[in-house]
Amino acid sequence: MFTEPFMLRAILGALMLAPLCALLGVFVTARRMAFFSDTVAHASLAGTAVSFLLGLSEPTPGMIVVSLAVAAAIVWLRERSGLFNDTIMSLLLTGSVAVGTVILSRLHGFRAEIHRVLFGDILAIGSTELILAGALLLLVAIGGSWMLSPLSLITAHEDLAHVAGLRVRAFNYAFVLVLTITVTVTIRLVGILLVGALLVIPPASARLLGRTLRQEIWLAVAFGIVTGVGGVAASYAADIPCGPSIVLTGITLFAVTLGISKTRRTERLEPLVREEG
Amino acid sequence: MNRTDTRPRAVEIRGLNVCLGGKRVLRNIDLDIGTGELVALIGPNGAGKTTLVRAILGLVPAESGTVRVLGETNLRSALPRVGYVPQRLALDVGLAMSVREFLALRRPSTRNWFWRRHAELDATLPPIADELGTRLLLDKSVSTLSGGQLQRVLITFGLLDNPELLFLDEPTEGVDAPGERTFYEIISDIHRAHRLTVVLVSHDLSMVHRHASWVVALNGRICCEGAPDEIIREDALREAYGLHVTPYHHHHHDPTAQGHDHGLDHGHPHVH
Repeated sequence: MFTEPFMLRAILGALMLAPLCALLGVFVTARRMAFFSDTVAHASLAGTAVSFLLGLSEPTPGMIVVSLAVAAAIVWLRERSGLFNDTIMSLLLTGSVAVGTVILSRLHGFRAEIHRVLFGDILAIGSTELILAGALLLLVAIGGSWMLSPLSLITAHEDLAHVAGLRVRAFNYAFVLVLTITVTVTIRLVGILLVGALLVIPPASARLLGRTLRQEIWLAVAFGIVTGVGGVAASYAADIPCGPSIVLTGITLFAVTLGISKTRRTERLEPLVREEG
Repeated sequence: MNRTDTRPRAVEIRGLNVCLGGKRVLRNIDLDIGTGELVALIGPNGAGKTTLVRAILGLVPAESGTVRVLGETNLRSALPRVGYVPQRLALDVGLAMSVREFLALRRPSTRNWFWRRHAELDATLPPIADELGTRLLLDKSVSTLSGGQLQRVLITFGLLDNPELLFLDEPTEGVDAPGERTFYEIISDIHRAHRLTVVLVSHDLSMVHRHASWVVALNGRICCEGAPDEIIREDALREAYGLHVTPYHHHHHDPTAQGHDHGLDHGHPHVH
């Protein structure tokens, strides 16, 4: 399995992107931004279509540009329109899927590529994606120690963060930027329809077991690595699409952590019940 | 604050107007808050008390007017010396965050909390964490705290790094009556001991009467301001509340009798 170059690239991609998604996902889930990441992911379909329309051989840069434009539109409308978040995101999600579909319906010969973009493909991880994933990982590793505290405080209470002297809006923009690029690059591995799972499932498992933020972050990163690498390996072994394979691995892990957390909770409550009895 | 008073001012507001959702909430506010005062903002619901605090702190934009905080026109320069306890005693429970981690987020010296041992972080906590009993809560998750515990944690958070100015926006909401009394006594003690300027939004006129050194009655504009004895009176309150309000003053409270005086209605104004 590991002797084949495409598998090495896919494993390396999963090793970098899955923990990155899990780390960002801790804050995505806590800030109720799962729908946001889904919206920018779906915008990638329009990005892919535009790339093909322009005759570009590599769709990732076009996907990033369109997803960033949609992310900026979400932020702009949220600050100026007075509409609810989910209304804005639903509007942009359906709008960008419609644009992508209309363009793709006019083009021919991209059926396989569309399937890859929707469901992910281990063959789709090329050198561009690896370089981008490496750069993102480096950026988050360096910036993470600086961003972690402000981001945690902004997540806990934006007003307190403001009075503590943080530039809340600038941090929010930086988070949206890094999240959008990460989601778009990860789509090559997991696909548009399932990328949200890599952002949500490992952090959700970690939230069940972690008692402190430090524990939650470490667990999310560990679960992300197991989900990503395990999913890629299972995809190769069972000859199934990479996205569903990663998601099913994550859900299996989630079911195990849910069982552990329920058992732990029962153990904690039992002495209390005995005392009351 | 008397305009002839020459003491330095913690907050100076001139001609402040604030609109929210197209509605004018504050009109032409001129207000001075003296250093070392415990100033209470009172007024009916929707009077703009919280909006005034939020406008001072830059949390809502001012339509016009100037605000100077701790002598600074640039609010960002003043914020490191300001503490704040928000109106809704709630933290987002989306993160599995311990009280220790939450307190570490405020201070530049502990922003690297992720890599530091608990004992190291605990050693950096100021004495106020012991005075408020917050040290006993450090291992607890913020999502499991009761209203009273969360209140203590948020006050400790607001008082980290010894601020010169503390804003408390209805900080006893969701806290039971004995807890409320204890809270006001703690704030009053801290105010006296540290010569801290406190701006308090409160509905509890009795507690305001007992602890505040200056009272500002607000109802979209400043209706009146003065010493508690001058403002917590029927005629003055009628203007602010637009209703007949009979102030009900506590008898002198004996701190040793704490816990026995559970009269829930004590201290609330009578509104007819």
